[in-house]
Amino acid sequence: MPLPWLCQHFHPPPLLLARLEGRSSLKEIEPYLFADEDSSVHGGILEFHGPEGTGKTEMLYHLTARCILPKSEGGLEVEVLFIDTDYHFDMLRLVTILEHRLSQSSEETVKRCLGRLFLVNCTSSTQLLLTLCSLETMVCSHPALCLLILDSLSAFYWTDRVNGGESVNLQECTLKKCAQFLEKLVSEYRLVLFATTQSIMQKTSNWTEGPSAFTHPTEADADYRPYLCKAWQQVVKHRIFFSKQVDFKTSNQFSLVSRHLKSNSLKKHIFIIGESGVEFC
Amino acid sequence: MENRLVCLGGTSCLSSWFLLPSVPSSSLSYSLSSPSFISLDKLLDAGLYTGEVTEIAGGPGSGKTQVCLCVAANVAYGLQQNVVYIDSNGGLTASRILQLLQARTPAEEEQAGALQRIQVVRAFDIFQMLDVLQDFRGTVSQQVSSGSAAAKAVVVDSVTAVVSPLLGGQQREGLALMMQLARELKTLARDLGVAVVVTNHVIRDRDSGDLKPALGRSWSFVPSTRILLDVDEGAGASGSRRRACLTKSPRLPTGFQEMVDIGTWGPPEQSPASQGDQI
Repeated sequence: MPLPWLCQHFHPPPLLLARLEGRSSLKEIEPYLFADEDSSVHGGILEFHGPEGTGKTEMLYHLTARCILPKSEGGLEVEVLFIDTDYHFDMLRLVTILEHRLSQSSEETVKRCLGRLFLVNCTSSTQLLLTLCSLETMVCSHPALCLLILDSLSAFYWTDRVNGGESVNLQECTLKKCAQFLEKLVSEYRLVLFATTQSIMQKTSNWTEGPSAFTHPTEADADYRPYLCKAWQQVVKHRIFFSKQVDFKTSNQFSLVSRHLKSNSLKKHIFIIGESGVEFC
Repeated sequence: MENRLVCLGGTSCLSSWFLLPSVPSSSLSYSLSSPSFISLDKLLDAGLYTGEVTEIAGGPGSGKTQVCLCVAANVAYGLQQNVVYIDSNGGLTASRILQLLQARTPAEEEQAGALQRIQVVRAFDIFQMLDVLQDFRGTVSQQVSSGSAAAKAVVVDSVTAVVSPLLGGQQREGLALMMQLARELKTLARDLGVAVVVTNHVIRDRDSGDLKPALGRSWSFVPSTRILLDVDEGAGASGSRRRACLTKSPRLPTGFQEMVDIGTWGPPEQSPASQGDQI
């Protein structure tokens, strides 16, 4: 693993940049979810937000499977880097999803799919920052890598707040650097980043979201209370809120509300989770 | 830090913990005519999984400790593996485990052998618990290098007893300590290939009136699987019936419920009068 300082001195030559043009756009990755997206726009940062048990990780598996499956099976045949910060990643579940989606699933084909997946575990925010620093060389040497997944970004929140002492700046400083690095990576190499953040804060009664909440009031949206550092809030392009339907008849359904932050447009989708993963209704 | 996953075969994440007739995970309907099933396992999709943290949540008297004792007894006797039981409640006594073992085998040497495989540690505050988990890591690495069998299950009864005194107010330190404990448990499960079972209390949700696990939102993300135990309202004469509901799972749809008899840890006794109450 190259040292982080080495990465600062490595700038890919223009020829290499030309190879990076071929990275997939959001619309190709999940056409149903991003139907309104401009397919010529490559790259971006999306945040999945929601309480536990609302399908965020399942959606990540769905997107991962879509990317690593071969083109003949409806996938994109591109590489995915999955950064797991709280030992949440379940390989068995991903393999089950792959096996259900492959028309002829054999150990060989599954292995070949998994060969396109890179999994990294991080146990502290400093380790996360160092990992991100060393990612640049990896992204350059793997032109097929176009999807970054970070599950989850808020795993170190309380630990960082205590380690930073009384100064809020110190508390947030590592995550701020991570956000800046991620933005640099994503914009330079046209990657797509999906990061999950957990709803760990209760909504306070006098919290006001802003004018958009009044025009499109939805339950998931209204519960949102941003708690991560401002640097992160600023780099997110799309925020997707996950929630579970509480209605008895539709008790196995999940819903997500996708908000494009610049245009402030909201879209709602409903999905269920089956053996082969996420299925949109 | 980076693992390239090329070879999947022989993953150590999966172990079937209980000696059961095999149940296909797609058949979730409760079968009234199969008395030999240990029904809690149908809930857990043929057993607890190593590499994961499973939470058993329930109110007082709902049977959490009994479930933990059954898990310990089953792993020690049925699977012949070592168990570490971390007690922060004082609910564990050797006589209770002995009763469960006596129900499984009349042979005294087997009962004694199983009891020896259960290592009991007491931890009454969070720092003691973190120490215990650290010590366990150290022992396991020694055992692995010396070739002797390491524990395959760690039961923590209960995690609420050591964490809830830290929560409340604006204290960040309490939450950070709780997340440190969570990280220790998950790392233990994943790195050492151990099945971790923790128990938690429940509180009533202000808005919906439903039961939800205690320790707040941050903790709710920690276990991969959660089972909620509740006393069956229409219990009637039998006081040992509980309703177990799967409320979180990485591989099964949630909402699946089973009636469990925690006295014998099997399906409730079939009687003509009570058949109408069954799911």
